[in-house]
Amino acid sequence: MDVALSRNGRRALRALFAAVVLFLYAPIVLLLVFSFNSSVLPTFPLSGFTLEWYRQFLSDGELHGALEASAIVAALSSLGAVALGLLASTAIARRRFRGKAALSALLLSPLVIPYVVFGVSLLLLFHTLGVQRSLLTVVIGHVVITLPYTILVLVPRLQQIDRALEEAAYDLGAPPRTTFLLVVLPLIAPAIVSSFLIAFTTSFDEYAVASFVVGTRNTFPIYLYGALRFPSRLPEVIAVAVVVLCASLVVVIAAEAWRRVAERRLVG
Amino acid sequence: MPRRVDLRTPALLGLPLGWLGVFFLVPIGIVGAYSVDILSIVPGSHSLTFAGWHDLFRDPVYLRLFWKSVEMSFIVSGVVVAFAYPLAYYLALSGTPRKYVLLLVLIAPFLTSYLLRVLAWKVILGNQGVINTFLFWSGLRSPDHPISQLLYSRFAVILVLAYIWLPFVALPIFVSLENLDRSLLEAAADLGASRWQAFLRVTLPLTTPGIVAAFLFVFIPTVGEFVTPSLVGGTTGYMYGNQITDLFGTGFPDWRTGAVLALFLLVVVAALTAVFSRFNRVEAV
Repeated sequence: MDVALSRNGRRALRALFAAVVLFLYAPIVLLLVFSFNSSVLPTFPLSGFTLEWYRQFLSDGELHGALEASAIVAALSSLGAVALGLLASTAIARRRFRGKAALSALLLSPLVIPYVVFGVSLLLLFHTLGVQRSLLTVVIGHVVITLPYTILVLVPRLQQIDRALEEAAYDLGAPPRTTFLLVVLPLIAPAIVSSFLIAFTTSFDEYAVASFVVGTRNTFPIYLYGALRFPSRLPEVIAVAVVVLCASLVVVIAAEAWRRVAERRLVG
Repeated sequence: MPRRVDLRTPALLGLPLGWLGVFFLVPIGIVGAYSVDILSIVPGSHSLTFAGWHDLFRDPVYLRLFWKSVEMSFIVSGVVVAFAYPLAYYLALSGTPRKYVLLLVLIAPFLTSYLLRVLAWKVILGNQGVINTFLFWSGLRSPDHPISQLLYSRFAVILVLAYIWLPFVALPIFVSLENLDRSLLEAAADLGASRWQAFLRVTLPLTTPGIVAAFLFVFIPTVGEFVTPSLVGGTTGYMYGNQITDLFGTGFPDWRTGAVLALFLLVVVAALTAVFSRFNRVEAV
């Protein structure tokens, strides 16, 4: 006898799972459908097929600027977060020190701050210091909020790898830096890549904190939020939405699949 | 074991902690300073005053709004956990060979754009939206009387927030169910427990920490939410977070009150987190 689920229970849960997946994906599919619909208003019945909205998206300079700004912000902030995260994770996974629990909690605490509070805090900091708000101030904020994610990915991986490999390298006379570069780094490379991607996608999509500290140049979410208020721009926004959604889904799934394969190869 | 120290611990921790100190802790301190008028946007000299805090507890407007947000976010978290638990249970315990693939299918929407998922619901729920126009088209409702409560309402905010957070909570619950020792269930069965009894007396108590964690992971960000309510909430869906952003907005800025409200929210959230981690020692990551 299966101790966890009866046959009917399994069937019911499978049906529930299917229903929830439908609920989660239907709105996304709907956006996809309307992105090809020729009417300006996203209403039923559908009025005809068009690629007009995608054409508009390709020629919208403001939008391209926003996408570019977000790409810059996401690249810089995720590089920063991964670098800081790697340092912190090494300390957490490999060192014993006093107050470790408290410091670990502090490093993870940005996970549990409501973004409105953090946004306000940063705004007041930059205002008090007289720092002009810009893409750089957004980067600073995004490093803070994505740092915990990188730590959550990197620490388990560092704990997982066999210390004997490093000790073997030391015994063979490798200095610490060589050991790190030739032994540790290749072993945690998949985790570094996935923490980078998590940080990148989080930053690329982040609106709440950015809305408080963004300067005159808009990031993509800021642009999008503004565009959502004008119904006439809705179809174009939907087209962009579809492109970005699909791109991020592909990146996420590819990255996860790659990480699985890479880690399996390293282990086996 | 050879002890070869490469980088000293302070060297490793200095940068990350320094960054959080300057860009996370100090800013919160500055909010504190604004909340008691040590710092202010109003020119002139200031002295320490707790008037802002006093107002928060005297004037019922803000606290009422706070409770409304707590209530909405409580509903969202509850609904989402109630749905995610059976799904995670199915993935973790049904023995399906593709559980990680299915888990990724469930979580993937969370990794896509937040604003775009809100946009999708705007398109669905509006007076000229998918649901209403479908009803007109099928003749179930006259175009003069769309169901207008769908969008710009408390309902819309709760629905959209639940939609956004559902994929996310599946993860902590799944992890707690994965870590459950299955032989405990077998032991329960051997001792004559039915599946329900085993669930209620073994599985559920052992996964309660996961449930509480999942609940808080949703509750904490949603109680301070302002983006979704500003897009689909209208006036009835207005939340505490909107009040804070408005106080820092361009209309009638009142940074002192805004700082008080922000800090109050932070204190409540911090207290919840502290209670939780005492009750369930978060694995010392």
